[in-house]
Amino acid sequence: MTERARHPILRLRSGRAISLLLIFVSGFFLLAIPAAASPVLDSITPTATAYTPPTPTMYLVTLTPTPTLAPTPTFDVSRLDKPIVDEPPSQLDEGLLVYWGVCMACHGDTGQGLTDAWRDSFGEDRDCWTSKCHASNHPPQGFEFPRLVPSLSDKGTLLRFVNAEQLYQYNLANMPWWDPGSLTKEKALAVTAYLLKMNGKLPEGVTLTAANGQFIPIQYTVMEPPAQSNLWKYLLAGALILSGIGIGLQSVQPHAGKRPSFILHLHPPTIPALQARFRYTLGAGGLAVFLCIILLVTGLLEMFYYIPSTERAAATIQEITFLVPYGGLVRNLHFWSAQALVVVAAIHLLRVVFTGAYAKPRRFNYILGLGLFVIVLLLDFTGYVLRWDEGIRWALIAGTNLLGSVPKIGEGLVRFVSGNLEPGPAMLIRFYAWHLFGLAILGGILMIWHLFRVRRDGGIAATRVERIGNPPDEESAPTRISRAELLRREAITMLVAGGILLLISTFLPAPIEQPMSSTLVSLAESRAPWFFLWVQELLKVGDPFLWGVATPLIVVLLLGLIPYVFPRVDESEIGRWLPRSGRAAQLFLATLLVTIITLTILATR
Amino acid sequence: MRPLPRRSFLKLLTNSLLTFSGALGLGGLARFFSFQADPPPPKEFDIGPAMNYPQGSVTVLLQIPATLRHTSKGFIAVSMKCTHLGCTVEKPGETFECPCHGSRFDEFGKVTRGPATRDLPQLEVIETEDGNLIVRAS
Repeated sequence: MTERARHPILRLRSGRAISLLLIFVSGFFLLAIPAAASPVLDSITPTATAYTPPTPTMYLVTLTPTPTLAPTPTFDVSRLDKPIVDEPPSQLDEGLLVYWGVCMACHGDTGQGLTDAWRDSFGEDRDCWTSKCHASNHPPQGFEFPRLVPSLSDKGTLLRFVNAEQLYQYNLANMPWWDPGSLTKEKALAVTAYLLKMNGKLPEGVTLTAANGQFIPIQYTVMEPPAQSNLWKYLLAGALILSGIGIGLQSVQPHAGKRPSFILHLHPPTIPALQARFRYTLGAGGLAVFLCIILLVTGLLEMFYYIPSTERAAATIQEITFLVPYGGLVRNLHFWSAQALVVVAAIHLLRVVFTGAYAKPRRFNYILGLGLFVIVLLLDFTGYVLRWDEGIRWALIAGTNLLGSVPKIGEGLVRFVSGNLEPGPAMLIRFYAWHLFGLAILGGILMIWHLFRVRRDGGIAATRVERIGNPPDEESAPTRISRAELLRREAITMLVAGGILLLISTFLPAPIEQPMSSTLVSLAESRAPWFFLWVQELLKVGDPFLWGVATPLIVVLLLGLIPYVFPRVDESEIGRWLPRSGRAAQLFLATLLVTIITLTILATR
Repeated sequence: MRPLPRRSFLKLLTNSLLTFSGALGLGGLARFFSFQADPPPPKEFDIGPAMNYPQGSVTVLLQIPATLRHTSKGFIAVSMKCTHLGCTVEKPGETFECPCHGSRFDEFGKVTRGPATRDLPQLEVIETEDGNLIVRAS
């Protein structure tokens, strides 16, 4: 059994095997060394400030002042100088002057708040809470001091205001502390504009007015990604790929007399080698199963932190992406596996049609597979909606209205599918339920059924000829491969694909946008997700029901009819690429594919 | 020492790489779960000016939860979080009773009936410069 039956390509001499391995090891370290140059573990800790959800802080007190101060404060008094501005001053200049005259004493020259360092500017009165000016026994012209003067430039302080309008109204009504309402409207606008500028929230060249304030978002933003080292991700990806190669270089050891393990037991004892040729199956079905497992695991991990409420959904996705250790990686893996699954499932479908594998007795399994494909698309769409940020707004609105365009039952359909006619809490939780439970369970059941039917229908479609090689020759290839060999190939595929996915997820972040807001008119992303772009292009033609609902349904229906209407594939040709007797089906699918790709390209222009 | 055959060496190498991947994955998972999603509960509560709580008054402060008494010896705050399993105790009269498992405590928090075994703790009350009361919850 030692020189047993291996595919010629796997018959590597050990010397060559080891040199190959060495090449991969050195390549891997070339990748890893630049990453290792940056400090390792500490830099993985996210450095960005946590998004603080609006918590009731009325009774939460930070006990300032700190008891002791440096005896000889060194304060650069030039920081207190009146700023020099152009004549005539712009709105921002005026805001700066107002800030300097009214706000700076408490909030600091850079908006840092009443820090110990800033209080040094008050000289001997720097201990404000016991000073003659601001303690509870202050003289009439003084005033009692608030316990905490917030920083205005910290990430998070201004986040309790949804937009510039709210901040302006707050300043107008509540500031300054000792004389609320004393700012004129112009001054309040100017100082609000200055604060927005300080926090990077004021769009370039915009003059803040009472009218445009509500269109300038404050809270709705995307966090800065923290600086992170990717060393561990490289190491993991490298180790996965290398162990895949390592397994690839070994041949399967026969387990004589051993009963199969659980995983082995899930496979048939042996399958014809012809069914397991990579250039025939392209490994697409197996890869799809692997991607589903990754999606299940990463999705489960995301569930630990995702909160499906309209206020928190986008914020918790930002938390997962930027603050949770390796959360960004988990989300990227989930995203890229989902995209890859659409591609892999499509390749699987094309393979089945272009090899005539849909023919009897596999007609029913073909329908199951088609159903799975539709479910994958729906899962992708519902998952996309769960981001609940500006990037998905138009796709969500167009998608639900598309359903509503169905005559007579449209509104009922929208209510069933998305809970409500307008985006809101009911819609979000409905999509959450579909994505995590309804569609996922249905997809899981169909997947298991699909795999069961593969075995029940006699394995992957292949010719009954038991040998390949011309002329038939004992050495050319094994007739059957064992389940251990099958498992070995699966392991190689999974390890290498997992490593590649990990690398992709390290380099390419999943899309994220500012949280969805009802006050913001966004022109950000108005495109459908890429796998529905062709439908979006069709929708430009005319009637939404006809082009957006009926046409895609007809496409699915036609795909489903392939094994039933096109002539039978000749038995002797099954298991080969492009069998002659399947030309009609091949032509049909090729036309459909070209049309969809063309529409997609048109839509991206 | 007998040299390791190539086949065994390759197997050893592959298995150590797999173990290494598994360890990295588990480590990453542990870090993933280490994130604290919500801020920890507040430890200090500003309950407003001391003059709101005159001599002899007994006030239930549910946000802590605690009972604040202004006695002749000053302010005494008794936690109302049952020391058994953390339910908020009820205060029908002078005594505290836990609605969950029936523990009872006297007016100063001493256990009078199980299953709780520890007394309700007294919380530190601080009066600030500007006359506000701060209760420390832990």
